[in-house]
Amino acid sequence: MPEPWEDPEEEIKDLLDSVRSRFKNPLHLPSAAIFVAAASAFMALALLTSVYTVKPEEKAVILRLGRYAGTKGPGLHVRVPFGIDQLFKVATETIHQEEFGFRSGGDSNEPFVGHRLTPQEESAMLTGDLNVAEVGWIVQYKISDPRKYLFNTRERIKNMRDVSQSVLRRVVGDREVSEALTTGRVEIAEEAHRLTQEVLDRYDMGVKIVTIKLQDANPPESVKPAFNEVNAAKQEQEKAINQAEREYNQVIPEARGKAEQLVRDAEGYAMAVVNRSQGDASRFKNMLSAYRTAPSVTKTRLHREALEELYGRFKEVIIVDKNVNGLLPIYQGLQAPAGEKR
Amino acid sequence: MRAERNVWALVSGVFLTILLFASAYRVQEWDQVIITQFGKPVGGPITAAGLHFKLPLIQRIWRFDKRILNWDANPNQIPTKDKKYIWVDTTARWRMTDPLLFLQTVQTEENARSRLDGIIEAATRDIISNYNLVEAVRNSDSIIAKVKLKRDMATRGELPPGEEEGIGEIEPIVLGREKLSEMIIEKARAGLKELGIQIIDVQLRRIAYEASVESKVFERMISERQRIAQKIRSVGLGEQSKIRGKITRDLQQIESEAYKRSETLRGAADATAIRNYAAAMNSDPEFYEFLRTLEAYKKALPADTRLILSADSEFLELLKKK
Repeated sequence: MPEPWEDPEEEIKDLLDSVRSRFKNPLHLPSAAIFVAAASAFMALALLTSVYTVKPEEKAVILRLGRYAGTKGPGLHVRVPFGIDQLFKVATETIHQEEFGFRSGGDSNEPFVGHRLTPQEESAMLTGDLNVAEVGWIVQYKISDPRKYLFNTRERIKNMRDVSQSVLRRVVGDREVSEALTTGRVEIAEEAHRLTQEVLDRYDMGVKIVTIKLQDANPPESVKPAFNEVNAAKQEQEKAINQAEREYNQVIPEARGKAEQLVRDAEGYAMAVVNRSQGDASRFKNMLSAYRTAPSVTKTRLHREALEELYGRFKEVIIVDKNVNGLLPIYQGLQAPAGEKR
Repeated sequence: MRAERNVWALVSGVFLTILLFASAYRVQEWDQVIITQFGKPVGGPITAAGLHFKLPLIQRIWRFDKRILNWDANPNQIPTKDKKYIWVDTTARWRMTDPLLFLQTVQTEENARSRLDGIIEAATRDIISNYNLVEAVRNSDSIIAKVKLKRDMATRGELPPGEEEGIGEIEPIVLGREKLSEMIIEKARAGLKELGIQIIDVQLRRIAYEASVESKVFERMISERQRIAQKIRSVGLGEQSKIRGKITRDLQQIESEAYKRSETLRGAADATAIRNYAAAMNSDPEFYEFLRTLEAYKKALPADTRLILSADSEFLELLKKK
């Protein structure tokens, strides 16, 4: 007689019984109720996992079984649950920023995660005249096409960092150190913006650069004093020129005024001399025409009148013989005789 | 029996599900897939995203990225042709364009990266060491034109303030940075094509002086700056002298011109006066002389004068005259 456990029919029967007892609910509920409960739990789970929201600054890219199935804007949306629809949210409205050559969070000199270069190494670059300049800059960008952003490149931020560094070095490499540090900064940023965008467009990675701005641009620490010396020399130059200009302004306007005066004086003199001569001439002519009506009488009268006036002025009149010489010592100390004609 | 049927249905259901999961696979938008059957590739690469099926168990999938990938070089110390030691740090973009070939030659991305290391680094070394340093730094000769322009302006004395004149010669370039990058790509391309890899670009991310060279460069920069400072100062003093010279010149000019004008004016006026007097006198010189003599004595003799006359004095004659 075979053992009971060796009877295959018995074995199966036992198994089926146990399975059946499992399916028979221990709470004695009707099986339909269990089904409904299970189904509704399943439905609830499905519903919960199929609803999602997209924030105002985001867009959601949907992959259905791996294939692109649309981009959803901000709001409440429904998807197929259980991993059939995958969701990739991309902040398209946010302006993202990358820093190069410096870290705004403290003065750490650590490379970014996944990057080998320290800020210090990022910032040091060769200029066209083979000098070294240390330049810090920022790149601000937006994700203009989330689909391209996700599907076309894998390490997007690293791409951008690599390209931006390469481009900025290229732009600075075509300039003199003095230009890179001072006058050329805006131009450098603009050219870097254009060239970086060109390269990123070549990757078609759906990124649009908003702006590139140069922050610090300095000579290396040990060279700084020499650069300052150049600045000081510029000041000195200006000072020297200003000083000379001041001297000029001190002297020349005054000289011009004096010259003007000299000319005006001469003009006055000229006017006076001419007027006087005209006056004298006209007086003489008038007198002459009157004199000619009675020359002899007039001459005598004029002579007498003059003598009258002259005699009135003399204190004494001394007449000496014409042969007397050496008279003057007597009158030494006196006022020299005036008007004597010898 | 009903119960037995249920069990069979359950078992087969589970089995079918397992089969389904073992044969269906998802290809993402950025995936490309190769199917192998017992190690032997079957069909071409599958690049269309979506749900795909394979034979379960006997076929295997190999999934590769089809996006653009990054590669970073280990920075390398390379001497340039003009014997300058520099650190060259390159970075490249690449993608797997032939996944089948890729699978056959390198299998994994990690292997691919080490092959990229070898190939691109060798190409970089070859190219950089065959050219002068400036070729890797500059992209054009525009700087030379700019420096020349500034130098011309400085010699004409028209250099705007704030600008400074560069010192020293700037070496012209033959190819330039972008061209060198292209040459590196060109050189690396052939070797990578055999691996099913396309290289998209190589960027010279960073070129830096080697530390020992750097200090010498800094010294050179310092002396260069000092020369520039000296030049700026002496230009300033030169300008100062120029202005001072101008002061002297302008002063002389102003004063002499004023003198010239004033003397000319005076002379012209004197001439007019002479002509006026002459014209008047000429009508009766004798009467004029008479009047003028009287006038002269009236003016010449002040009051209370002691008059000493010689007996033959003309003045006495005048006094006697009737």
